Amino acid sequence: METSADIIELILPLKAEYVSIARLTVSGIANRMGFDIEIIEDIKVAVSEVCSKYVQKGSSLAEKFKIIFTVSKDCLKIGFDSEDKSLRCIFNEDNDDFAISILNALMDEVKLCIDDDEYLLTMSKYLERKM
Amino acid sequence: MVISMKQELRIYEEQLSDYVKVTISGEADIYTSSELKERLYDIIEKNQADLKIDCSQLNYIDSTGLGIFAGAFKKAKEIDKKIYLTGLKNNIKKLFVITGLDKLFIIEE
Repeated sequence: METSADIIELILPLKAEYVSIARLTVSGIANRMGFDIEIIEDIKVAVSEVCSKYVQKGSSLAEKFKIIFTVSKDCLKIGFDSEDKSLRCIFNEDNDDFAISILNALMDEVKLCIDDDEYLLTMSKYLERKM
Repeated sequence: MVISMKQELRIYEEQLSDYVKVTISGEADIYTSSELKERLYDIIEKNQADLKIDCSQLNYIDSTGLGIFAGAFKKAKEIDKKIYLTGLKNNIKKLFVITGLDKLFIIEE
């Protein structure tokens, strides 16, 4: 479990100009964990895809959203949450095929539509890919 | 000629004899996507020529930017023109492959 994990939370306004801040933040965290530069680029892209979708779909519904980075020994779990739970399941398989393909290709685990109070969406990357 | 000045994204256009050279530098994400779309589509409509897009200074692209490239391909195809991409960084080329867009463009090293 994640008993020894460190939690870092980032709250951002739902505005396009702050998506790059999410990229910079996750880049620093992933670098600190020891991911190589190529994997860090992948994680940045995945985080940015989700942030962009919230900005596109959610800016009329909420003012901000939260990214929760859970740093454990061998895994970076990135969760997304918002006070407006209608932002759950924002990816649509018909319209977001590029984004969904990118998330699934770049991350080890992706849960797009989580039915609990903690997160709306999570994705994880392992330092040594789980077999 | 510099035709886009948003700090995070710069687009340069140069008319050559057989094609138009377009240099894109910076980040093509949701923040810059509207400008990328406007400028790229305008270049295609205005010049009615093949495009060679130099991506060697393009540091980042997301699905929004990729969608605009796909739209540019359709626009160019409508007037029977081609788009060449040069200098793609590995992390960006990877996204073209993941999304299948690598099959639409002529990708040169």
